[in-house]
Amino acid sequence: MSQTRSLIDKQGKRTDGRTVGQLREVKISVGVVKNADGSAYIEFGKNKIIVAVYGPREVHPKHMAQPDRCVLRCRYHMSPFSTDTRKNPAPSRREVEISKVMREALEPALMLEDYPRAAIDVYVEVLQADGGSRCAGISAASVALADAGINMRDLVAACAAGKVDDKIVLDINDTEDKEGGADMPVAYMPHLDEVTLLQLDGVLTRDQFNQCFDTAVEGCKMVYEIQKQALMQKYFGNETEVKEEIQ
Amino acid sequence: MQELKRRYVIPGDKIVDGNFRPLMNVIRIGNSIISTRIGIAEAGRDGIKVIPLSGVYIPRINDIVIGKIVDRSSLSWDVDINSCFTAHLPAQDVFGRDFSPARDDMNRELATGALITARIIAFDRTRDPMLTVQDRDLGKIPRGESLRISATRVPRLIGKRGSMIQTIEQATQTRVIIGQNGVVVVTGRNQDGIDLAVKAIKVVEEEAHTSNLTQRIKALLNVPDTALAQPQGSEFVEKSSESEDISEISPTKSVPQSVSNIIQRPISNEQQSQGRGEREQEHERSATSRFSDSSPSPSSPPSSVVTPVAPSDKVRSQEERPRKGEEQRISEGDTRKTKTPVKGVHDGLQEHGKKEGDN
Repeated sequence: MSQTRSLIDKQGKRTDGRTVGQLREVKISVGVVKNADGSAYIEFGKNKIIVAVYGPREVHPKHMAQPDRCVLRCRYHMSPFSTDTRKNPAPSRREVEISKVMREALEPALMLEDYPRAAIDVYVEVLQADGGSRCAGISAASVALADAGINMRDLVAACAAGKVDDKIVLDINDTEDKEGGADMPVAYMPHLDEVTLLQLDGVLTRDQFNQCFDTAVEGCKMVYEIQKQALMQKYFGNETEVKEEIQ
Repeated sequence: MQELKRRYVIPGDKIVDGNFRPLMNVIRIGNSIISTRIGIAEAGRDGIKVIPLSGVYIPRINDIVIGKIVDRSSLSWDVDINSCFTAHLPAQDVFGRDFSPARDDMNRELATGALITARIIAFDRTRDPMLTVQDRDLGKIPRGESLRISATRVPRLIGKRGSMIQTIEQATQTRVIIGQNGVVVVTGRNQDGIDLAVKAIKVVEEEAHTSNLTQRIKALLNVPDTALAQPQGSEFVEKSSESEDISEISPTKSVPQSVSNIIQRPISNEQQSQGRGEREQEHERSATSRFSDSSPSPSSPPSSVVTPVAPSDKVRSQEERPRKGEEQRISEGDTRKTKTPVKGVHDGLQEHGKKEGDN
């Protein structure tokens, strides 16, 4: 991957006007799909993604059921209108892979052993894509799973970091992803301090890798605060703060 | 021991550090108790728990549920109990031990589509829930409009000591049967009342976590604020007119009441005296005597005086329920004379019980 043009200007601004350590604007709403047991809508910059969670529910086909745990099924799908050229709605190799990594990113947070012989379905529908949609999808899916009342050890927050113009930047967008030096999506459980997804596309030195990883984790923590706020707002309205434990 | 205030939590939130016992919807990680659900964290005498605010119904033994017959095999009915597991009602439970698939017609007793109230007698990780209708006030529900709400909203629909559901019932001249699985059946004489009750129940479900809900429901039902729903003394009225908050949905407070609502609760005397013929009244009297072996009177204590039993020691037992005796007391306390529109249903079961006894 080699860059053909500069993506950070002299003032240190990126193509969309952000600084290197700045996250895109993130908005999350909870409970947007009435039919689902849990749902969330996320706007992560120009990404617009809707996630619906169903379950725990009966497993069909029955042979997929596990006697000791719940089956988590994840479907990441990009709408035909989500990109500038029409995307074939049939599941592509990329979508099948992202579905798998999303499932594996969410599984460690879920207490699947609490629901034996059942299934949880997570549908992630990308309405508009602008780079970093797997991270946005994981963040929204985690909120939707919490909304569905599924036992979770922690929320999963995801954010990418990458290399642009030999600088480590937070939350890379579509242009930076395509033209930049590296892209590292990370999913992270903030309270448990555990990483559930770590991918890397591009080349980084050892120091760059460490720096990039730390930057991504910082981004995850920022996303977590937004996830938390969205859930609190949905369930407790404005009464969210104050109530603290007395030591 | 540290004092712990009630607080709002989401999955992953640390509730407290220290040697506390995790009760429900919490896990211990290291030295900390962590919430696994969105809800309200509480410290009881026994340990720490979170009252969840969302989630589908997961069956538990002794839950009273409303189910729909969806299929039958030669020896049992399959019942949809609004859960990820299909429940089974053995034919022997209805026909007795001498049930014979060749002689007894299961379809005649409970056809596909029939609604029943039943108790879960067995359920674990390896088996589907097993139901029974062999108990007071369980069995087929002959008519009514059924709707499904989230099971986590059931305690809120019942309200403190049944205040919410009584308000709805009395204002709309209906009877509402609530299953702990979130299935609600509304019966009544006029359709407008039923429609209004259904609307009110849906509002309660949607706005369960907001404050002053009872006031809004009263406004919706055009009930004056003078606590129409409160059956007894001023102390009771005072208590239930306290400002409402989300804590009302605490199942620990209201599940015993939910049992009494699930069990047939009669329409009050005033309601009954409206527009009924002599014949109907006579039928009711006989139905009551068959239906209830107690001798209920208007002066019976309200169900609100029944205290819930202490929570079970089991980590996953989750909600407090009355013991069998107490459950009976609740329904007796509530059974202020005479008619239940659904009573007739139980005739078959009662007779069946008698037959078994004879044997």
